[in-house]
Amino acid sequence: MLISIVLSVSAQEGLRINDVFEGEVIAKQFIQESLVKGDNLAPYNLKVLHTAKCIANAKERVTIEHLFEEDMKERISDDDSNMEMESRDGHLYYAIVQLKNSARGTHRYICYQCRDRSSHYDITLVYMEGKASLADLRKTFKKK
Amino acid sequence: MDKETNIRELLRRYMEGESTQAELRQLREYFNCEQDLPADLAPYAQMFAIIEEATPMPSVEALDRFASPLKAEQRRLPLWPFIAAACIAAIAVILLAPPQQKEESMAIAYVDGKMLNDKAQAMRMGQEALQEIFSNGNQEEQLSELFNTP
Repeated sequence: MLISIVLSVSAQEGLRINDVFEGEVIAKQFIQESLVKGDNLAPYNLKVLHTAKCIANAKERVTIEHLFEEDMKERISDDDSNMEMESRDGHLYYAIVQLKNSARGTHRYICYQCRDRSSHYDITLVYMEGKASLADLRKTFKKK
Repeated sequence: MDKETNIRELLRRYMEGESTQAELRQLREYFNCEQDLPADLAPYAQMFAIIEEATPMPSVEALDRFASPLKAEQRRLPLWPFIAAACIAAIAVILLAPPQQKEESMAIAYVDGKMLNDKAQAMRMGQEALQEIFSNGNQEEQLSELFNTP
């Protein structure tokens, strides 16, 4: 059942961060996951929104970070219009990356955010696809 | 009605295209056998002689066979090849048609090890995750993380 959630997001197949969505890095019961597809996302000009939030220890954080960085290699470019990224102390803090190999007229993005809570790390991962540009998404979701 | 008058009536019907096979046979026999034709009917005798030579008339039995309706079994074409071809065409259309591009709608949340088919919850979780990332945390949270002062 769990695997079927991930596989149902066909364009997401092949990404390394799927290991996280599938519970191979952190057990599924410690992940808060949402998958929204289709007309529900029409107001955001998106077709797929898949999110996962989890609490990770230092080792798990490094593993997730590594998986995300592997997927980042498929980014469309380093241009600000296609990605934004911030690192601290040699670790990825947050990143929003537009991926290559999108279907015509559709953009694919992966996002990562890690918050240091001293005893653990709050990690958020997002996969999304749709016609919305990164500028559109910033405008829609950035808190005022 | 004497014979000649009858023949003239049959000729009229023949020229109008109204003759039956029996009437036609009667005309042919008359013009073939009658020796003492009235002068105005002589050309008809020649006409029937020419027709007789050019196109031998089929027998009455043959004409009757032709005129009679064919038996239903003889006329019925076998339908199964057409049905089979239609089925193959339908299957080919289904298999070869490009897949529908329309994305199915779904909204699923997975919380505490349980899958919830709750659209509102799934939407809320998705929006919150995106707001956190695109806002990259608020300033207060960032400062507390930087200085490790929760």
